Amino acid sequence: MNLFGMMQLSGSALLAERERAELTATNLANAETTRTVEGGPYRKQNVVFQASHPFATGFAATLASFTDIHTQTVQVARVFEDHSAPIRRFDPSHPDADATGYVDLPNVNPVEEIVDLVEAARSYQMNVSAIQTTKAMIQAAIQIAA
Amino acid sequence: MSVMNTSQLSLIEKFLDLATVRQSLLVSNIANVDTPGYRAQDIDFHGELVRALNQDVGVPVPATVRQVPGLLSRPDGNNVSVDREGLLLAETQLKYQAAIQAMRSEFSLVRAAVNAT
Repeated sequence: MNLFGMMQLSGSALLAERERAELTATNLANAETTRTVEGGPYRKQNVVFQASHPFATGFAATLASFTDIHTQTVQVARVFEDHSAPIRRFDPSHPDADATGYVDLPNVNPVEEIVDLVEAARSYQMNVSAIQTTKAMIQAAIQIAA
Repeated sequence: MSVMNTSQLSLIEKFLDLATVRQSLLVSNIANVDTPGYRAQDIDFHGELVRALNQDVGVPVPATVRQVPGLLSRPDGNNVSVDREGLLLAETQLKYQAAIQAMRSEFSLVRAAVNAT
């Protein structure tokens, strides 16, 4: 893999971590949302990361399979909803309370979300460092001819 | 021995090749720091360099990539150590730049010879 390919590789991780951070933000924003289009309270969403070989289709993949069999980009395989039980809070005055006076609130734990967010941000920064290193190497290589 | 084909230049070239391979693996490890089940990969830099130097003729054999031994695995099966990768990232960058400098000084000798008259 050449140095520019490595920047693409780190870029794939930036995209993935950004999507993860966005979902955390969505979860936090909807931590108290009791009404959704599908009905019922909002459900926590999360990502599944998957390592995959760069340029996964077509001619480029065949060519790359001879040389780059080890480096792996990362991608969001899918976004899934957490189907664990909603948190129930006693609040009879709430319009969405059931007959017993309990409201179904989203299964979002703010502490978990913040931890996830910090982790995503740190991983993002780590990949930015990797890009800066690769960039410095490319600039050094350009200097050979100068 | 011609001035453009010195053993120093081929040594530097192999060094740069290996530094690039290592950098690609480090970048891959860092990109997959949150991928469940991913195992950190690396090459034996010194061993590969010695092997590449002893193999002068023929098609260059690609470096052997192996999983890094002795890393602590997380519950999700991932064993990428951010400290290790960050350290090697900085080290590889500096080694690469040092090799580029060495190559430039080799070329400046050639340039001096060209301009000698």
